[in-house]
Amino acid sequence: MHVVLFSALGMRRGLIAAQPLALGVFVYGIAFGLLTCEAHISTGEALLMSAVVYSGSAQLVAINSLMGGIVPTGAALLTLLATILLLNGRYILYGAAMRPWLGSLPAYQAYPTLAVLGDGNWILSMKAAREGENDAGFVFASGVGMFIPWLAGTWIGSTAFSFVSNPKTLGLDFMLIAFSAAMAMSMFKGRSDIKVVLIAAIVSLLVNQFALGGAAILAAGLTSALYVWLTFEEKQAT
Amino acid sequence: MNIRSDIFWLIMALGLASLICRISGFWLMRFVTITPRMKAALNATPLAVMVAIVAPAAASGKPAEILALVVIGLIMRFWPNDLFAAASGMAVVALWRWLQLAG
Repeated sequence: MHVVLFSALGMRRGLIAAQPLALGVFVYGIAFGLLTCEAHISTGEALLMSAVVYSGSAQLVAINSLMGGIVPTGAALLTLLATILLLNGRYILYGAAMRPWLGSLPAYQAYPTLAVLGDGNWILSMKAAREGENDAGFVFASGVGMFIPWLAGTWIGSTAFSFVSNPKTLGLDFMLIAFSAAMAMSMFKGRSDIKVVLIAAIVSLLVNQFALGGAAILAAGLTSALYVWLTFEEKQAT
Repeated sequence: MNIRSDIFWLIMALGLASLICRISGFWLMRFVTITPRMKAALNATPLAVMVAIVAPAAASGKPAEILALVVIGLIMRFWPNDLFAAASGMAVVALWRWLQLAG
């Protein structure tokens, strides 16, 4: 087993790679912060939520449930928790896919890295890994590089010093999609990937019809992985 | 900056659900031997996830998004640079929406 680094140099590369996406995360943090004002959530509560939950889609659902001024308990709380598990279930897949890379790290490095994992930095990291990145510091720092702007954005939005009222006019809601499209094209390695792309597209569109976006991502990832696992031909181990 | 105790506990419950998702996949893979077959399956997930992120926008039928994806595709085809391609795509979406607002 090769040695996996967790170095300052790797962190530097991760932090730099995260910057373009960090801008989008920052503006989304502001949008989330503004929403917490509407739900009469204090700045302290908004910041705590962004730090502890750290999932835009899950936090939006939670804030919506608080809009009426009543904190959900009992069945309403269970429904909310189930929704969040469904939305964030894709992180189970993300973490599993990181095992070959982060598996040999000590727990005090691996688990904090997973705690700040997000869609953007996972995609960046998996692509970097394919291009030879082996330093787990890259994953950690690209995660931190998006976590901090999320908190900063939340704070600015909830104190209503906001300057961007609608991220949509700047095309920022399209940012993760744009990066995913570009990176999917650079990761696409020819014929063997065509079926993965087709399966993922069909499954995600189907699941999107009757479930939330996060669940569609998880379903597409799992189905494609299962397809590759089933059709894998044992060649000479590389 | 006051934090009400019922909201504090709500946040902790939601945070725990979120954290379990983040660490459980990685932790469970401890008990799975990573064979070449398993590795190939795991390696297919990033592409599948990206496609799943893009597919709803591509199928939305919204002209701004579709034009942006075409622009990203063309740039990646002839001048492969993720950052430039993604920024151009966002610019297309922003410009389109701005023109719609203006017009």
